[in-house]
Amino acid sequence: MTKIMIEASHIVKVLGEGAGRVDALKGINLSLGGGELTLLMGPSGSGKTTLLSVLGCMMSPSSGNVRICGRSTTGLGPEALAGLRRKHVGFVFQSYHLFPTLTAVENVRLALDVCGDRSSQARVKADVALATVGLSHKANAFPRELSGGEQQRVAVARAIVGSPSVVLADEPTAALDSENGHAVMTVLAEIAKDPARALFIVTHDPRIIPFADRILRIEDGRIVSDQQRSEHAGAVHTLKYAS
Amino acid sequence: MIFTLASRNLFHDRVRLIATVVGIVFSIVLVTVQIGVFLSFERMITTIIDHAQADFWIVPTETKSFEGSALVSARERFQALSVSGVTEVVPVVAGYASWHKPNGGAATPVLLVGAPPTSAALRPWNVVQGTPDDLSLPDAVAIDRSYFEQLGIAQIGGTAEINNQRARVAAVTKGIRSFTTMPDVFTSLERARGYLGVSASKASYFIVRVSPNADAASVRNALVASVSDAEVLTTEEFRHRSRAFWLFDTGAGAALLGSAILGIIVGTIIVAQTLYSSTKDHLKEFATLRAIGSSCRYILMVILVQALLSAVVGFTIAASIGLALVVATSDAALPIVMTPVLTLGLFGLTLLMCTIAAISAIRVVTRIDPAVVFAQ
Repeated sequence: MTKIMIEASHIVKVLGEGAGRVDALKGINLSLGGGELTLLMGPSGSGKTTLLSVLGCMMSPSSGNVRICGRSTTGLGPEALAGLRRKHVGFVFQSYHLFPTLTAVENVRLALDVCGDRSSQARVKADVALATVGLSHKANAFPRELSGGEQQRVAVARAIVGSPSVVLADEPTAALDSENGHAVMTVLAEIAKDPARALFIVTHDPRIIPFADRILRIEDGRIVSDQQRSEHAGAVHTLKYAS
Repeated sequence: MIFTLASRNLFHDRVRLIATVVGIVFSIVLVTVQIGVFLSFERMITTIIDHAQADFWIVPTETKSFEGSALVSARERFQALSVSGVTEVVPVVAGYASWHKPNGGAATPVLLVGAPPTSAALRPWNVVQGTPDDLSLPDAVAIDRSYFEQLGIAQIGGTAEINNQRARVAAVTKGIRSFTTMPDVFTSLERARGYLGVSASKASYFIVRVSPNADAASVRNALVASVSDAEVLTTEEFRHRSRAFWLFDTGAGAALLGSAILGIIVGTIIVAQTLYSSTKDHLKEFATLRAIGSSCRYILMVILVQALLSAVVGFTIAASIGLALVVATSDAALPIVMTPVLTLGLFGLTLLMCTIAAISAIRVVTRIDPAVVFAQ
């Protein structure tokens, strides 16, 4: 039985007020288990990013409860939420968001540094994370010296170096060509095999469906379908990455 | 990593770094010059008092500075001499006079200082030509070499007129500069009386010297009790009174300090502006830091280290310029003074200025919504 890493119950999120009020999430119930790669798909404006922000403790829900590794986020302030992110959540962003003035290995070490890990082992951990994404040979390269795919793999290394329970990825392949997108997804799929870690990817990209263990579809702030691998496997063959 | 990130952010954008450093340098050099001149002014105001071998000064009542024109009666001298522990009471005559150059032209006002050449109580110092004893010679005066041109003197032995009476340069000093445009001219007590028309029964001050074995406080109390129409001041009190008059009563010191404060304000604003815009440019990175879980404190430290690094770079350049100015003005009428304490103080001020300047940047960062990283 897989361990539940994130559990969201009756999540409602209202953005704006008055005439600009938007009900972004309308009662989401969701559990993410370890060793599972879950995709969240849906049209623009359906609430994908809002849900990702809520699950990633960047945004508090208007109502409902999120539990990360058993810890409720209800009532926590910005610093406490940042603390939860530090401890339990790794992020991969569409635009990588690497620090241009830091090398690849320094970008990875930064994630440990914000967690207070300034030991000599930090460098070793960063090297291991870079090796995991196949970029040991680019450890001292600056982001501008890396391709988009390599930058995203550095971002993945940064997300996993602190061994978080949950990795949340926002359109990780959107800015990449097929080859690089495939390379990044291969790395993410490998990472997702760790039973102590849940991987949750928000995407528009149908080419990454074959990597998913589970696909959630969201529309108008509601989860409208929840398919396990066995249920969507029939469709994946027609949506493979071009080689 | 905080230092690495801060230093890379700072040195990555060279144009902004230059703007920041220029702001700091401008500010600190301005403050250095103003405070350096202030210190120099402060020293020059009391230079004669500082070089007098005095334990106490008997001065006319309500004297504000050494340059005051009131006189005390010789009677006070005899009263002071009657006090136990007093070894010497030396009359000093000081006053403004007109120096007429030997080759004609407009008269130059000078501050004439006369004391007995036989006493060590007040003699010209840093004498580079002639000796202080030469002031015993007829019509002898001592002037500073830096005033030769202003006084129309070519060399030692040159003659001129003071208040239409002959004067001959018998000794030359180096570095005795007046804080006013009026040169100090030293002469004997008798010649000073003659030039200034001060009778033998009067003096500007009496320098009191006491026995090394005497209790200074007791002597002072006795002096205060015996002197009726004058004040008794310690050297420190006279120094303080002169400084207070010239620096603050005249407004000269306030103007210098005002300029220094203005420099600090302008520098702080420039640094704040550049740090603010730098932080705005790196907002995406700070939001990313926040998103990956960094505490607010961590981000504040990055900004603060960035500000302090700017301070160190800026101060190093500013201090070098300040030092060059000190050397360049060492022979000027009002040389800039830089002391170790002032240097340390300016460094502290630079750090403080940059820390205050970082506040606006910090205010921006503390409002970052980490979720913005998803929108970019």
